[in-house]
Amino acid sequence: MMNARCYQTAIFRSLKSVLLVSWFGIAAIAVGDELDQPGAAGVLRVVEARCVQCHGETDEPEGNVDLTALKLSQLEDDAALVRKLMHVIETREMPPEGEAPLEADLRERTLAELKSILHVAVQKNSNSVQTPMRRMNRFQYNNAVVDLFDLNCIVFTLPERAMRGYKDYFDPASGRMPDIVTVGNRPLGKSQMIEPRLAGVAAFPQDLRAEHGFDNQADHLSLSPLLMDEFLKLGQSITDSPDFTPKQVGIWNTFFAAPENSAMLTSVERTEEIRSRLSPFLTKAFRRPVSADQLNRYTQFAAGQIDAGVEFPDAMKAVAAATLASPRFLYLYDTSHPERGAAPVEADDFELASRLSFFFWGSIPDETLLEIAASGRLSEQDTLAAQIDRMLSDKRMKRFCDSFPSQWLQLDRLVSSVPDRNRFPDFYFSKYRLSMHMMLEPLLIFETVFVENRPITQLIDSDFTYRTAKLDQAYGPLNCASGKNSGDQVTTLTFQRLPVTDRRNGGVITNAAVMTMTSGPERTKPITRGAWIAGVVFNDPPKPPPANVPPLPEKPQAGEEHLSLRERLAAHRERTDCRGCHEQIDPLGFALENYDAVGLWRDQYENGTPVDPSGELFREDRFASVTEFKDAILRDRRRFCRAFAGHLFAFALARELAPADEVALDAITDAAADDDFRMRTLMRQIVLSQPFRTK
Amino acid sequence: MKPNRRRFLRGIGGAVLALPGLECLSAAGAAVNRPPLRMAHFYVPIGVVRRGFFPGEQDDVIPKGNLGNVMQSLGKQDPNHKVRPLDKLTPTMEPLEDLRSHVSLITGMDRTFQQGTDVHAQCASCYLSSARPYTVQGSAWPLDRTLDHIVADHIGTKTPFRTLEFSCNSHRDNRESIYFDNISWYGTGHLAPSIRDPRKMYRRLFSTSEIKQSREITSLVLEDARSLQRELGSADRQKFSEYFDSIRSIETQMTRLETMKAELAQVNLEEPVASHLPRGEYIRLMGDLMVTALQTGLTSVATFMVGPERWDTPYLFESLFDKPRSHHQMSHNQTKMIDDLLKVDRFHMEQFAHLARRMRDITEADGSSLLDNTLFTYGSGLGDGSTHQYNDLPIIVAGGGSRTQTGLHIHMPEGTPLANLWLTQARLIGLPIDSFADSNGEISDWVA
Repeated sequence: MMNARCYQTAIFRSLKSVLLVSWFGIAAIAVGDELDQPGAAGVLRVVEARCVQCHGETDEPEGNVDLTALKLSQLEDDAALVRKLMHVIETREMPPEGEAPLEADLRERTLAELKSILHVAVQKNSNSVQTPMRRMNRFQYNNAVVDLFDLNCIVFTLPERAMRGYKDYFDPASGRMPDIVTVGNRPLGKSQMIEPRLAGVAAFPQDLRAEHGFDNQADHLSLSPLLMDEFLKLGQSITDSPDFTPKQVGIWNTFFAAPENSAMLTSVERTEEIRSRLSPFLTKAFRRPVSADQLNRYTQFAAGQIDAGVEFPDAMKAVAAATLASPRFLYLYDTSHPERGAAPVEADDFELASRLSFFFWGSIPDETLLEIAASGRLSEQDTLAAQIDRMLSDKRMKRFCDSFPSQWLQLDRLVSSVPDRNRFPDFYFSKYRLSMHMMLEPLLIFETVFVENRPITQLIDSDFTYRTAKLDQAYGPLNCASGKNSGDQVTTLTFQRLPVTDRRNGGVITNAAVMTMTSGPERTKPITRGAWIAGVVFNDPPKPPPANVPPLPEKPQAGEEHLSLRERLAAHRERTDCRGCHEQIDPLGFALENYDAVGLWRDQYENGTPVDPSGELFREDRFASVTEFKDAILRDRRRFCRAFAGHLFAFALARELAPADEVALDAITDAAADDDFRMRTLMRQIVLSQPFRTK
Repeated sequence: MKPNRRRFLRGIGGAVLALPGLECLSAAGAAVNRPPLRMAHFYVPIGVVRRGFFPGEQDDVIPKGNLGNVMQSLGKQDPNHKVRPLDKLTPTMEPLEDLRSHVSLITGMDRTFQQGTDVHAQCASCYLSSARPYTVQGSAWPLDRTLDHIVADHIGTKTPFRTLEFSCNSHRDNRESIYFDNISWYGTGHLAPSIRDPRKMYRRLFSTSEIKQSREITSLVLEDARSLQRELGSADRQKFSEYFDSIRSIETQMTRLETMKAELAQVNLEEPVASHLPRGEYIRLMGDLMVTALQTGLTSVATFMVGPERWDTPYLFESLFDKPRSHHQMSHNQTKMIDDLLKVDRFHMEQFAHLARRMRDITEADGSSLLDNTLFTYGSGLGDGSTHQYNDLPIIVAGGGSRTQTGLHIHMPEGTPLANLWLTQARLIGLPIDSFADSNGEISDWVA
């Protein structure tokens, strides 16, 4: 969605130069008519009166969008166009500044009407949007191997799982996060990459994220000879690892161990023993029933090894390694998609089971799920609901919390944040950076919202947070406890749950992690912050910096020392074609200006000018402070929740959202709204949605 | 510097290494004694400082800040076709002084930007594709099978590795998407991933230990693949061919590596150690592995990214600056940091020169040098890191021996597609093609 959306946003944002006089004229004449027109005709009338002046009636329609003589049938054939229109009206991008805005009542009615046109458009062109076949990414591979062999250690260390947990604090079934959690920061903390794992196993490279978001997106996960070579060696190195022993491997006795009466068995009996062990093993690895032919081949493979003199456990290791190289293990796919253009059909129960487990657990389904799928009952409403609840309460949900939130919040950026040492000396201690502590605060807030099934609005504004003593002190005036600094923790970090009474704290958007990673070494970068808010919070990322305007120098130029950052920036973007985009992003960033480049609260800049965080959200909702900014976001909480649901939906479907998914997204958002936008309700609704259940 | 590394460099350096019998593995159709023509691309991210690189532009205006929308030279470009001897080298090209008779500078070539994706993402990922914009269906990227793979379809059929992809991206954060980190693609959306770790590359090239077991496994899983293929829809079936292709490549690779085992045993190469190397040493180590692979016939086609596009994260350029510096940020601050950026450009040119020199000093069976038998191209997908221009790209072609005209500065007339050079290279290598991507002719001045 992001690419398309960026492009579209850019198009509409460039519609700026308009003749004021004629606008007023048209607006004045047209309003009466517009209000009289019922239904779809009204929409067309609005477009004609308010849009075509720039989008059509010139040689070069603004932004390449030509809306001349728009017909209802056109709209009903073009869901993407309908979405675009809705989006620019929703965000008040159009009509642009300087033009008469749509009157409140007219705006509401137009949006409502466009929505119903969108439904028609989606119904009419009910093409199934398919998630392409894709290999597992590195994170999923690791989890799947752990689950398949029931390992009690990991396969290889994944720095992308930022938070390392100690003492098993994560238990969604309890519905309560403990007040104290002990965690480590894998990419930044000391020794956090050293953990129980299989020695001698080399990871394949981390999968870079997709242009449009997460690292599980199907169009980005392809295979190459190089990677296949690594998969082949990886499978063997796993079962050959010196740590691949009865102690670490949960299925050792039932799968790898030689049968007790091994010596007594005839060749036929031994083959039968192998077959009976391979049947459940392959079913689990391949996530669907294995055919007799497949089972024979794998059985012959193992039996052949034993005939060639290989010990029983080693033969089973060899066949297990081979299983890991099979495309039926490595790939996520649906069988026999309907052809392009055909109506979607329901995913079968095994496919549904895999979709569930890869969304929630980043891994293969467990036996329970597979058994229910085999009975053909998984898609039954009650059974599915019960399974969703069971899975959401399972500890394996930690994998979801290890992959989704850090990618959603782009916390990886904190790894490379290096504030200036002279300016921010407190950021550094011994050989470490405070970001080691910072990064985990938003992740713990996210986990709490999930575990305690809180409304996702608390991601913006929570009445609690988690901090180490060191981190809390670093917040200076915004510290939540008067606790003493318990030393410079660098290996395991003790986070304590603290009540938030001052709403400048709490939530995931104003904490030190986000503030630091959206700043430069010397100063904050309000536009970077604004772009972050637009993309992360509103799922509407701006185009990458297009400005042919020099970046603001780190230090004020001569004669500008007395200006505030906002004034300096304003002076640096006088061009009208920049203003449009920045009108949208800048207020979002400036709202956070009270937090400096490492997230510390300030009321004025170093030069003594006061910080001015005030602005307007979507050109309608004025705010004067960061708490009012949070209020403004939450006043239209449906907007935020739908945006968040969009991120989650793309993650769950492993693909970009298409216009057709927008209808489902509306339904998901509505259903979640009925339960106060609680996190698990939202996740449940995503699973129950049509796109998730069809192929 | 560690002793074993020094030994490693000495071991494969210079002309001392003669590898008997390898020419029998050379490309089909070549004369018995004439070594095959190979191809290597050295990609420089984020463009160059024009004043330092291009003859005649030394006094042009320095781009101020990020001129992201300009996308053309600030100075006036000569629209006319000119061919001159490459007599005086510009400051950035100076490291090539002793190689002057082996290189030609080709200026005036363009790529076309397709609206809708990021300038940096597209300049690298589409550099060797050069597809005509909006021709690739269902993708925002003018990205098609890249030159290296098209050439390898022709001359990579007998080497253990069809192609090799090297990257000197040592960043540890996951900041950018795949489009910033790769110039080599099997096709649209189908990445040919590169290796960043010298140890991993070494093992890929010289380890033959796991071959027998792999072979048994591949035949077992291929059956799975065949049955799975029948269950897939048509779009997925197409994508799934990547699995068959991969397995097939690995099997051929194993067979060929086994045939070469005896010869490879003579390569006096130690496995690189796992430790941080200063940036220059790291690049040269990766480069040495590439040169060795080309020399020994492990591959005939290689791509080498000296760094990823954009990726703001700073690097420590050990020999240049005390503190880590971001190449990308420097490129947007040329008015202030032009001298530092020129150092980076020159640093990259030194690495290119080092590799070209290594190739020049390796003598092949018929007495010619490895460089004579390699089309080794230096280039960037941006003409300048501030203007983000896709036109008038900095391109230097080294090698080719008697097949090419060297020691020239060839300035192509306005609007010459970069794909013309790719077409010329492909044809020199023997591909029977008349056009490549958006090409409209050849760079005939360069062909002997």
